[in-house]
Amino acid sequence: MQWMTLFKKEIIENWRNKKWIWVPLIFILLAIIDPISNYYMPQIIDSIGGMPEGAVFEIPELSSAEVILMTLGQLSSLGVLVIILMSMGAIAGERKSGVIELILVKPVSYQHYITAKWAALLSLVWTALILGLTACWYYTVTLFGELPVISLLQIIFFYGLWITLVVTIVIFYNSFVKTPGLVAFLSIATIMAMSLLTQVFGRFLEWSPNNLSGHIFESLMIDQLTGDLIATAFVTMGLIISFLIGAIILFRRKSLAE
Amino acid sequence: MALLSVTNLSKKYDSNFAVKNVSFEFQPGKCIALIGPNGAGKTTILHILAGLLRPTSGNVKMSEINGNSDIRSFIGYLPQYPVFYTWMTGSEFLIYSGQLAHLSKKEAMARANELLERVGIADAGNKPIAKYSGGMKQRLGIAQAIIHNPKLLILDEPVSSLDPIGRREVLTLMEELKNEMTILFSTHILTDADEISDALLLLHQGEIVEAGSINILREKYQTATIELSFSHNTRFYQDKILQLSSVDNGYTEHDSIHVSASDISLAREEILKAAADEKWPITSFTLHRASLEDMFMKAVKK
Repeated sequence: MQWMTLFKKEIIENWRNKKWIWVPLIFILLAIIDPISNYYMPQIIDSIGGMPEGAVFEIPELSSAEVILMTLGQLSSLGVLVIILMSMGAIAGERKSGVIELILVKPVSYQHYITAKWAALLSLVWTALILGLTACWYYTVTLFGELPVISLLQIIFFYGLWITLVVTIVIFYNSFVKTPGLVAFLSIATIMAMSLLTQVFGRFLEWSPNNLSGHIFESLMIDQLTGDLIATAFVTMGLIISFLIGAIILFRRKSLAE
Repeated sequence: MALLSVTNLSKKYDSNFAVKNVSFEFQPGKCIALIGPNGAGKTTILHILAGLLRPTSGNVKMSEINGNSDIRSFIGYLPQYPVFYTWMTGSEFLIYSGQLAHLSKKEAMARANELLERVGIADAGNKPIAKYSGGMKQRLGIAQAIIHNPKLLILDEPVSSLDPIGRREVLTLMEELKNEMTILFSTHILTDADEISDALLLLHQGEIVEAGSINILREKYQTATIELSFSHNTRFYQDKILQLSSVDNGYTEHDSIHVSASDISLAREEILKAAADEKWPITSFTLHRASLEDMFMKAVKK
């Protein structure tokens, strides 16, 4: 009941500040850049003057799976940045402006407050992701060839876990950091550190969430879910739950007026 | 039974005490003013009572609370500078606050309308809060604080930032609310405290230096003085007055003599008698009652 009140307020707020419009638009844009630009690469090269006489330049034939992988790469850099910048003030902003004082002197459960924010951000991000990947899938199928709908659903689900982890990390830092900019910095630093660790200790961290895109690609290639993908999904879910619980604990501990 | 009792409350930042060993309690139905200069720890105490800050030591008990119910359900709080979601309308914010305090949507809506009317911003109920003036925000702030009919209403400097008209309106509103709930408010403006509160807590450097009902405190700090002026020979008459047995002390400032005495009515009698007998050239004679300010200065100096 109270949770729904908090959740609805977030949804309405994101509607009034137009996040429900521009976040999906950005995701759609980011997701269709790769299928379209790769398909039209020969024409693009021609229109900017073409290849020099006699030069042989083979443009590799891309498979649908490769195009999807490129799109996921696009979303993992710019898309993640958009998510972090959009949600860096979720709680820190309310703390900074002081409006949080009026909310938390009401008998509001801290758990509800955090999870409602988290869920509202997720519903926005997942909507954007579903629209973006569906658009990407449409262009990929039209321009590059077959990719079954079930594959699209799998991509959305597994890649969605990575995006969910990003949102959860941002909420985690929001629970105790007061400055939105610092929240963004810490979130980016955390994701970069995770990526670095995964690269350096690749052999031991096969199931690191940063490998989700790679495992999705492998599964698309052999046309069935790999054990690695499923294991990575579980590891990611475990991390999401840990960060969320951590956020609730730290938020409770932090005195609000300091 | 006391509505609220606070025992040995302290709040320490690094090695400084913002609040030090504060204890007090008060009965339901009173209006209590927390008075002190800026930085005395007023806001810190109110933050602790409202559950926004954890004390370093000590505890707060409310008689209404049984078992594990949330103390915040019984408290309404208005911060010194209330900030709202400016994209909401006043009415939306009130409904939202009401629902957070576990009112149903219907109850919250009814209560929001009633309160908008009551605090005098019914016309602006459907305007976004971004367009509200300072006074309107303060009134909306009071409305959100009482939306769930709290037993204790905590107001942090409710009138300090308002213009004279807004100030008067808020004071009138507080006067009305006194009949429905216990009010604890902080202020550094002593006349406001004098006007509407039943009891005072005088705070200085994080400690309570004096507490009690206004009348009792007045008696305790009875510092009534007599101020006299003479057309000439002020010095000469000052010496004469100081010789009277009932007068404790006296000094001259701006050509008038200020006389203090433990029994001020006796002193008045003696002075007036001497003046009549000896035909003193008195041009003015005033009896000053202790103001809250004098009381405060005296309590702080102690």
